[in-house]
Parts: sequence; C-alpha cells; structure tokens
Amino acid sequence: MKVSFQLNGKDIEVEAPGNRALLDLLRDDLGVKSVKKGCENGECGACTVLLDGAPVTSCLVLAPQVEGRAVTTIDGLVDDPFMVKLRQAFLEDGAIQCGFCTPGVLISSYALLKGNPKPTADEVKKAIEGNLCRCTGYVAIIKAILHASERI
Amino acid sequence: MNLIPDVEVHRPKSLEEALKHMEAPGAKPLAGGTDLIIDLREGACEARNLVDLTKVKELDYIREFGGRIRIGAMTHHTDLVASDLIRTKAQVLSEAANLVGSIQIRNLGTVGGNICNASPGADTATPLLALGAEATISSSGGVRVIPLGEFFAGPKRTSLNPGELLTELSFPTPPAGSGGAFQKLGRRKGCTLSLINIAAYVELDGDTCSEVRVAVGACAPTPVRITDVEEMLKGKKIDEAVIGEVSSACYGLVQPSQRAHSRASEEYRREMSCVLMRRALTTALERARGNK
Repeated sequence: MKVSFQLNGKDIEVEAPGNRALLDLLRDDLGVKSVKKGCENGECGACTVLLDGAPVTSCLVLAPQVEGRAVTTIDGLVDDPFMVKLRQAFLEDGAIQCGFCTPGVLISSYALLKGNPKPTADEVKKAIEGNLCRCTGYVAIIKAILHASERI
Repeated sequence: MNLIPDVEVHRPKSLEEALKHMEAPGAKPLAGGTDLIIDLREGACEARNLVDLTKVKELDYIREFGGRIRIGAMTHHTDLVASDLIRTKAQVLSEAANLVGSIQIRNLGTVGGNICNASPGADTATPLLALGAEATISSSGGVRVIPLGEFFAGPKRTSLNPGELLTELSFPTPPAGSGGAFQKLGRRKGCTLSLINIAAYVELDGDTCSEVRVAVGACAPTPVRITDVEEMLKGKKIDEAVIGEVSSACYGLVQPSQRAHSRASEEYRREMSCVLMRRALTTALERARGNK
C-alpha cells in the first residue's frame, strides 16, 4: 500500500506492504542506516526515532501507521542547535564507545531537552530508560546530557 | 529475527468505519502495537486483517462528564501521565501509566491496548479496577457497558466478541476524602514488566473507611480485586496498624502462577503482595487524609 509521510522534513511517498515495520522501511527501503536494529522487541531503543516529535521505537510501528505523520532521525537534526550541543558533549565526555546505541540515545536526549531544557539527573535517567547501552554504564551519557543542557 | 506475517492493514478515519472493518474474518484492532507487533513477529497471534486505529481521533480523549472521568481507548500512556485531571483526581492511574515500559513505549502504547492485551500484570488494569472502572464496548450492532472485572477472561483473553471494540474506560470521579496509590515490583526500576503490582483506593469519612477497592496484578490469571481485603477494611476505622494486619492477609489471598518459568516464584509473589499492599494502602490513606 502507498504510504505518504514526512521524513526529516521532506514529503515522501513509498510503497510498503502492511507487514513492513517502520524500522525496516527506513533502513532497507530508504537507506537511513543511523536507525539501528537491535532487539525488535521495543526494549533496547536502538531504533528510536521521533514520530510527530515524540520518541518511539520504530520496530513497533508498522509503515502504514505513519501515513500523514512526521518521522525524524538524527540525520534530520544534523544542524539543529540542540543536537549540535548534545553531539559535542557526547564526544567530549566519552559518552560514545561502540556507538550502536548512540543514535537512539541522542534522539531520546534531544526529545528530553526540547521539552525540558534544564533536567535533573533523575529526569535524564527516566528519559533514557528505554535505551540500552552495554558499553558506557550510562555514567558518561548522563554527564554528557547534563553538560549539553548547561550550554542551552 | 522473525518476520511479521503478511497482513492487510486497514486505516479507518472514524469509529463507524473501524467497526465495519472489525467485522472482517480474523480482524484485530491495532492500537499502539507495542504488544501486538511483538506477538505477530513471534507467531503468538494470528491476524489477517489489522484495523489500525491511529487515525480514529474520536477515541483519543480524557474528559470529565456526568460525574465520571472518561478515557478514550486510544489515549496514550504519555497523555494519561500529562493529564492534570488524572493526576489530581486519579493519581493511582497517573502513577501506573508512568511506569509502563519506557518513554518510547508510553508514546506508542494506549490504555485501551493495555487492557485488551489482557496481560495478568497489565500496569493500567489494577488502578482502573481500584477506581471501579467500567468498559464501554462498541460494535456495529450497538454499545454495551460492563464492569472492567468482567472484561478479563483469562491470561491474554478478553470477553470481547468478534466485531467488538473497547472504546472507553470510565470511573466515578473520586470525591474529596479519597486517595489512591500504585505499587509495582519489577526486576529493575525502568522499562520493566510487573512481577506483581497493586493498586489501592480508599474513601474516608472522618477516620472511617467508607469505600475501598484494592486490585493485584500478575498474581492470578487476570488482574483482580481482592474483595476479602476490602471487606476487612470497609466501614471500619482505618489507620496504619489496621493496614499492617490486613496487608499480611494477602499472603493467603493472592493466587500467583505456580509455573516454574514464570518471572518470579509463587512464594516470592505471595510475600511481596503483603509488602506492596501495605505500601499502597498506607500511601492511599495519607493522600485521602490530605484530600480535603
């Protein structure tokens, strides 16, 4: 079936079968490889994207469900001031090791700071509870998000 | 990883249109998808026709009307958490919704989906039972309203007939002098399934407990009220000492699964039901006292 939606600010129309997950549509049909495939159970958060501005796990969304809606990945936020600050802080604080979780964590952090530019450490932890990172132990990630918020 | 089987997705824009699609053989509603899509991938559920309710905006509302708080089945957990009405009048539900999955899951998942998935440990089921909720069920043939307790038919089973949709959950607006609280125990704090959860709701008339409802999740084939505990409290003077006694009775009143592969042992769940009941009732009582 035809699905029309906005991807990173651009209107697109794609042909997608009903059983295609948004995650697979983005990666395999549209070449957006920053969206990672992890658990496909909605638990790891590596596939997190913004759907109408709210973070969701794209493995649990069927392509036809995004009809008429806006999907945003980190690729659409490259020059966004909030994302620039976050990226910079992640690099400085060593919040990235293998990098697999990073796009998802950045999307969740971005959504947090957009709604709450000065979060507490507990609010940061709650905001990234749906993103698993097996390298950093989260300490550096939490520090980086708080650093980014200080610069906003 | 398993693939989602071939399925036709219908995208109705109104309830009327959705109910028509629900009459197709093998039709299943698709709300937030956070359980259904996993079940489809794992082959735990078969559906030839999915009726995507994303665009049925008339099922997405939280309002107070006719002395009842009414919640459309397509209301997202995030919206329950953000609602001032729910936070101030039905805090027990607000607390529970905030502990469903992660932010990503709460942004997708809906209260109607959580109820229809009918997991014995569904986090929004126990607070709704404690609030005395009713379920409104619609089909092309009409509308019926049943107590939420009758909606659950077994683990992952509901009393919905083919062609029917859960459209609304509603409960009497809790009056002044009432208070509720939710307690959840998982393997970790965030993004976790309930090993057991308990919701408590009390109404006070002075020191007397004039109304009380308590419900437990993941301790029976469905989320259930523990009426024995309610009877021990109703019409009696209630304080922390009474709560302590009543809560320890939970040990013999809950019926956790004895399956070896369940997420926690029967013994552990029985023990923890007493602890969570005490905490939930204590907090509910505190809130009722403060709710003038």
